[in-house]
Amino acid sequence: MVAIIEKRDLRDFDWLTSVLAVAIACFGVWQIYNATPNDTIWSKQIVGIGIALAAFTVVAISDYRRIIDAAPIFYGIGLFLLFLVLTPLGVEVNGQKAWLRIFGLQFQPSEVAKIPTILMLAKYFGARKGGTLQFREVLIGVAILAGPVVLIMLEPDAGQAITYFPILGAVFFLSAIKVRYVIGGLVLAAVMIPTAYIVGVKAGVIKRYQQDRIMAIIDPESVDPRGYGYHTIQSMITVGKGGLSGIKGNTETSQSVLKFLPEPQTDFIFAVTAENTGFIGCVSLLLAYALLISRLIIGAREANERAGMLVIMAIATALAFQIFMNVGMTLGFLPVIGVPLPLMSAGLSNLLSTFIAIGFVVSIKMRRFVN
Amino acid sequence: MKLQEQAQNLGGRIATIHVVAFILLSILGVRLYYLQIVNGEYYEKRAENQRIRLIPIPAPRGAIFDRHGKILVDSRPTFNVVISNEPMKQLDIEADERIDEYAYGLNLEPDVVADRLKQIKKQNDFETLVLKDNASMQDISWVEAHQLEYPELRIELQPQRFYPHGTAMAHILGYVGEISPKQLESERWAGMKAGDIIGKGGLEEYYDEFLRGRPGFRKVIVDSRGRIQREIEVVPPQAGQDLITTIDLDIQMAAEQQLANSASKRGVIASMDTRNGEMLALASWPSFDPNVFVQGSKTREGRKQIAAYWQDEGRPLYNRAIQGRYPPGSTWKIPMSAGGFQSGAMTTASNSFACGGGIQIGNRFTKCMGHHGHPSLVPAIARSCNGYYYRLGLKMSIEKMIEMIETYEYDKITGIDLPNERVSQTPKSWKPIVEKNEGRWSDIRTVMASIGQDTVVVTPISLLRTVAAIGEHGKMYVPHFLKEFKKINATEHFEERPGFGFQRPEPKILPLKPEEQKMIATGMWSAVSGGTARIVNIPGFDVAAKTGTAQAAVGSKDHAWMVSFAPAYEPEIAVVGLIENVGFGGTHAGPAVKGVYETYLAKREPLADEQDEVARR
Repeated sequence: MVAIIEKRDLRDFDWLTSVLAVAIACFGVWQIYNATPNDTIWSKQIVGIGIALAAFTVVAISDYRRIIDAAPIFYGIGLFLLFLVLTPLGVEVNGQKAWLRIFGLQFQPSEVAKIPTILMLAKYFGARKGGTLQFREVLIGVAILAGPVVLIMLEPDAGQAITYFPILGAVFFLSAIKVRYVIGGLVLAAVMIPTAYIVGVKAGVIKRYQQDRIMAIIDPESVDPRGYGYHTIQSMITVGKGGLSGIKGNTETSQSVLKFLPEPQTDFIFAVTAENTGFIGCVSLLLAYALLISRLIIGAREANERAGMLVIMAIATALAFQIFMNVGMTLGFLPVIGVPLPLMSAGLSNLLSTFIAIGFVVSIKMRRFVN
Repeated sequence: MKLQEQAQNLGGRIATIHVVAFILLSILGVRLYYLQIVNGEYYEKRAENQRIRLIPIPAPRGAIFDRHGKILVDSRPTFNVVISNEPMKQLDIEADERIDEYAYGLNLEPDVVADRLKQIKKQNDFETLVLKDNASMQDISWVEAHQLEYPELRIELQPQRFYPHGTAMAHILGYVGEISPKQLESERWAGMKAGDIIGKGGLEEYYDEFLRGRPGFRKVIVDSRGRIQREIEVVPPQAGQDLITTIDLDIQMAAEQQLANSASKRGVIASMDTRNGEMLALASWPSFDPNVFVQGSKTREGRKQIAAYWQDEGRPLYNRAIQGRYPPGSTWKIPMSAGGFQSGAMTTASNSFACGGGIQIGNRFTKCMGHHGHPSLVPAIARSCNGYYYRLGLKMSIEKMIEMIETYEYDKITGIDLPNERVSQTPKSWKPIVEKNEGRWSDIRTVMASIGQDTVVVTPISLLRTVAAIGEHGKMYVPHFLKEFKKINATEHFEERPGFGFQRPEPKILPLKPEEQKMIATGMWSAVSGGTARIVNIPGFDVAAKTGTAQAAVGSKDHAWMVSFAPAYEPEIAVVGLIENVGFGGTHAGPAVKGVYETYLAKREPLADEQDEVARR
């Protein structure tokens, strides 16, 4: 492997993007420590970052084209892992079977399977020649996405399933779908989503707890303030309490230490950040994410072939969307669904999938002059 | 950008995604600004409100002492095992083995534990419930030893009012209990909250504001389950003021003993210092145990006992001395004699009336108990001649009798420092009613009123007060129990509570000339030395007394009375005795009153000279 890395490769290695990702992850470790100072989760996260960096390095120095060639195999493995979750090997947490425990390691296949899905889409849509997107291609794209999404919905984990859709959206958009279809699709979505919700409620397909999660966004104080509303209220209190520069003095009385904030080290890590570092810290973090996404998109522009460009853009879109979903939930204007904040939330799956994704970007950028 | 040409404006599409991503992040930034900068303070307050709790620390109530510093009421520390609510919410109470474990560890019935746990499920979060009060040392050590297994259990200190003398003085002292919903609405208890302990009845109620302490609190940080994490501040409570009463415990116990020995075990013995109105003793029988109200309201047996008190026909909860109204019978002749002088119906020079063995009013003859000839005042009192007073009353006329009633304030409460005192009923209050119902006030009513029957029913305390005033050369004091409230020093958080004594009004000076007073006192002294009250004759101690045998309701025995003061011409102490439904006053009330004097004398002798000198100046 080492032999493959030549001087030119090292020169072209995207240090800035890599360092940025590691910096955000380290910032995350600090926030995990703030969330649970009496626990060792933060040290586990450091180990996680180590593992993720190893995976990142392997991916970054590998030839991404070969990996894309092998996409169907990875895609198959991804689907198999998602299937395993539904078997007795899956671990049930809070009524959701979203976890898999293998050799004592617990991870979330729905998080990890995103990458094979992106690769599979990139392989198919990267091979196409110019011209507008054909209906047949749309169907194949939907079929590729449907595999993991259906399995995830069976867990059921609607939150994770939703994060798959922007990937397909980005791939279609970049595969020369006609703009009028895009606008048509957006309009249709704007009409259909509320309609589907109302029909779903009437037909009893959308369950009571799911309705509460949605309603809790509109008025968290009156809808079940001890249940779903509670998460939203506590998260908003925690964020608001941070003020301009975060809590001063001791952290013993923080919202997470006193356990008012649920899941502080995972889903609500951004609230912890907000409480401890305030508006300044939060905006800095959002800017870091903006910079990271910009670096990825610049990389996509420099890519010398479609498949690589699609991989990067799909990753950038998924990242942006997931950040928006997670922080939006934390800030109390999106429903509470369990989506981790990339690079920040505690958990190996989150670190691994994000670092591997960035590894691809680095690999693609490094080989932009290679034919 | 080698790919750009291949697709429809690929560069533009990438830029679009880039812009959309930035827009999404900007929305987050705007929302952050709104939450953290615009509403930061609001959320900070909310966060503080949900993590900071004030846990009240009950203040010890002031103790109550007798005049010599002997403890009458105290607070003793008791411990409660309390259970916090939040961790319990998750437990399935029906199935939970904790019920049996608590029951076993705390020596409780499993049913009781299950009941309590069900109750706590209905409560708000953060609230606690007493699982067991009056916990023993064994219970406390069990809870402490199982702190890890049952973090929801906690020991709380609770000062509990304790009445060491049980039923004795219960009517004077009263008891304490939780404030009632009705009291919470009244102005007197403004600022109190449900569950607060206040005085009920007796001195506990009358002086509640002073006896009650100011509760302190612990300011603590709690977690989302209400578990205390850290203490921020402690404001220690300020104890209530100690109350020194005028009661002499020995005299009080003697009075209680006399009532216990009485034939009907129902009655009143009250004693006061004639020189200032200080109450030395007040016993009303039957009585109740205030401890039952303090401890028992939470237990089944206690509630049963309280219900029994309420239903008891002997009415143990009722303070006969200030709420009972009895015909005074012949004891009424003492204020009548004073009224005779006041009205001019007799003078010290001319005060003889015929006995006549009774009196004929219309077609009805009202008898005297004997044939006393044509006695003057002294023998009339000494031998309790009814005929004499029939004629005195008629000569005075009912209007002048009412004037006497007003002078001696039988138309008012005495103002004793106990709650719920009742006013005596006299011809003053009855006359308008009788005139309305019968058209006129007939002479027979005047005759009956002259010997304390029919329209005259008085409270023992009002009779004691007036008889003492006649003994005390016409100075009428307000009877009272408060001698002194002790000062409480200011603390960091509370102001000083100054000490004070009874705000004694100047005594009312009665229109009774010294010769007149001396004549009445001589009559009463004669009753003891050779008349109807011989039973209270104590050699070397001149008691002046008057017996009374008052007709009670039809079919029941007479009430036995005795009013007295001593020494006869320079009194220090007045005693009234009333035994319900036993018969002749001298026979039944006499020994009771004598017992009180004997106790008084036993204490007085060694210090007599010295104290008398001091008191008289």
